Amino acid sequence: MIKAAQYTSIFVGILLFILVFAMVPAVLQPSPMDGSLQFYWWEGLSRLGSYFDGLANGQSFLYLAGKTEHSFMEQIGSSFAVTFSYVIIGASIGMTIGMLLGVYFAVTRARWLKSLLELLGVLPDFVIVLLLQFLIVIIADETGLVVFQIASFSTDDPAVALPLISSVIIPAIYMIRNVALHMSQALTEDYISFAKARGLGKRYIIFYHALPNVLPFVKADLHKFMGILFGNLFIFEYLYHLNGVTLLVFSNAYAFEGYQYNLVVNGIFTLLLLYAIVFTLLRALIFGWEKVFTR
Amino acid sequence: MNKILTAGLIITLLMMVAAFFGQFVAPHGLSEHVEVDYQIDENGDSVLLAPPYPPSASNPFGTDKYGYDLMAKLIAGGKYTIIATISVAVVRIVIGGAIGLLLGYLSKSKPSRADRLPIWNALNGIPTLIIVWMIMIGISMNPEASPFKLALILSVVAALVGIPTVASTVKEKTIVLRDKQFVLSSKSIGASHWTIIRRHLIPHLQESFLILFVQEIVLILGLFGQLAIFNIFVGGTLVYNNPWPEPPEYVSRTNEWSGLIGQALSNLVNHQWLLFIPLLVYTVFILGFHMISLGLESMFKRRFSKFSHI
Repeated sequence: MIKAAQYTSIFVGILLFILVFAMVPAVLQPSPMDGSLQFYWWEGLSRLGSYFDGLANGQSFLYLAGKTEHSFMEQIGSSFAVTFSYVIIGASIGMTIGMLLGVYFAVTRARWLKSLLELLGVLPDFVIVLLLQFLIVIIADETGLVVFQIASFSTDDPAVALPLISSVIIPAIYMIRNVALHMSQALTEDYISFAKARGLGKRYIIFYHALPNVLPFVKADLHKFMGILFGNLFIFEYLYHLNGVTLLVFSNAYAFEGYQYNLVVNGIFTLLLLYAIVFTLLRALIFGWEKVFTR
Repeated sequence: MNKILTAGLIITLLMMVAAFFGQFVAPHGLSEHVEVDYQIDENGDSVLLAPPYPPSASNPFGTDKYGYDLMAKLIAGGKYTIIATISVAVVRIVIGGAIGLLLGYLSKSKPSRADRLPIWNALNGIPTLIIVWMIMIGISMNPEASPFKLALILSVVAALVGIPTVASTVKEKTIVLRDKQFVLSSKSIGASHWTIIRRHLIPHLQESFLILFVQEIVLILGLFGQLAIFNIFVGGTLVYNNPWPEPPEYVSRTNEWSGLIGQALSNLVNHQWLLFIPLLVYTVFILGFHMISLGLESMFKRRFSKFSHI
């Protein structure tokens, strides 16, 4: 009962946070006279009021793209499908690859491999995306062969391979580093040397003694992993011109009539839904890993 | 001092020196620009030469499409990049570190177990990019305020969003230290809270602070770069609306490095040096700091660490 109340209050808190947070661009504006910062509190509250008013008659689900009015409900379906598929693929494959390679990196003696990984891990996600695009352009310049499309230029001919690669490798790099770090810490523990003294095999120790003690860290870091996944989503949907949710929201946040509070709120709610789905999925994935590797 | 630390220090210091004193030796200033030119080749045909010019002997990094020297722009903008990132990192470490130290020392909580899932953990799931975007988007486009003032506002916002993570990292480390025996023994001989913090906790944490500081610089550079992708540049953005259907053009007011990357995103296929050179400078700067942090880590690790049994 208490737990249910807790979850309800958290849920309401998140909703309120989003409603207030989306006001910020309306509230915080430069004054037209001298450019100093001004807080227009009433502006924000009136946006909130009209959002609630519009919920009943459907006004809140209309938005402008340029000067054309669209219905949010009609447009969001295809965007959601695009974003959903990339996030699901990136999250599940990225995590699995990350976990396996993380274990490998913790025990391997190849130092250059580790430093290469560190190097990739420290580069911001957009640099990796830009470098991938550059690579394609250079290959195309040298050989005349366009290996992959560098961005979607029309809806009929979307870029697939490059977004897919970057949606997997960027979360995977984070996961590898994280797992490798905790794995190499777990391998210094006394129970590992005890297991070794009992004559257990190396592979058995790694997967049945060390890995179960790494999984809790992965679980605890899941929100951070999701943060990287979603932050990355904004970047690569924008750079590859993918018609996903974030591009829909943030390229249309400022339309002909200025800031669109309704669109941003609806968009963030959609992302929140996506977050919940992917989070549940990843928890299930880790649960599966635990069932396999914990005796 | 190990090799990687030395290399990182040399790279970052060289780039800082170039950004602050480069204008005295650079071939072109920020105000000079190359005009449209005619050249007559050996057949007698005249060729129209118009900027952007690719890298050449007179303009080592080439020019932008208005004929301004890219190297001069990088030198002018580097000051903003370097000062903004370092000061944001200092603020994050000082305030976040103080909060984390006090929270860790005074709180009653045990060191947190890994499988505990506090609701605050979920805040990690919100990308900082979106928070800063929300705050800055309304004030960043064609602002009246001066570039310095806008850079200051962005820096304050960037510092504030980073403080909680620094504080929680420092708190975790402090809780571990607080329960050590030397703290208990100095408590038992009557040392005050302030003495324990000053004489025991801070000396043990200073190495972590140093590494955290360098890592924060890398994170802040990444954040500025991500914002620049969405046309929020340090010091403000000038928007030039082109006739439809051309997209509007976004130009950085300060020529800050990430801003130069952001405004050249459309140069992926042609005039690539406009995108590639700022990206290279920015990446090398990040890698320099990364090398410093790696070097520091391995220097400190050699003193304390345990070794893998496998």
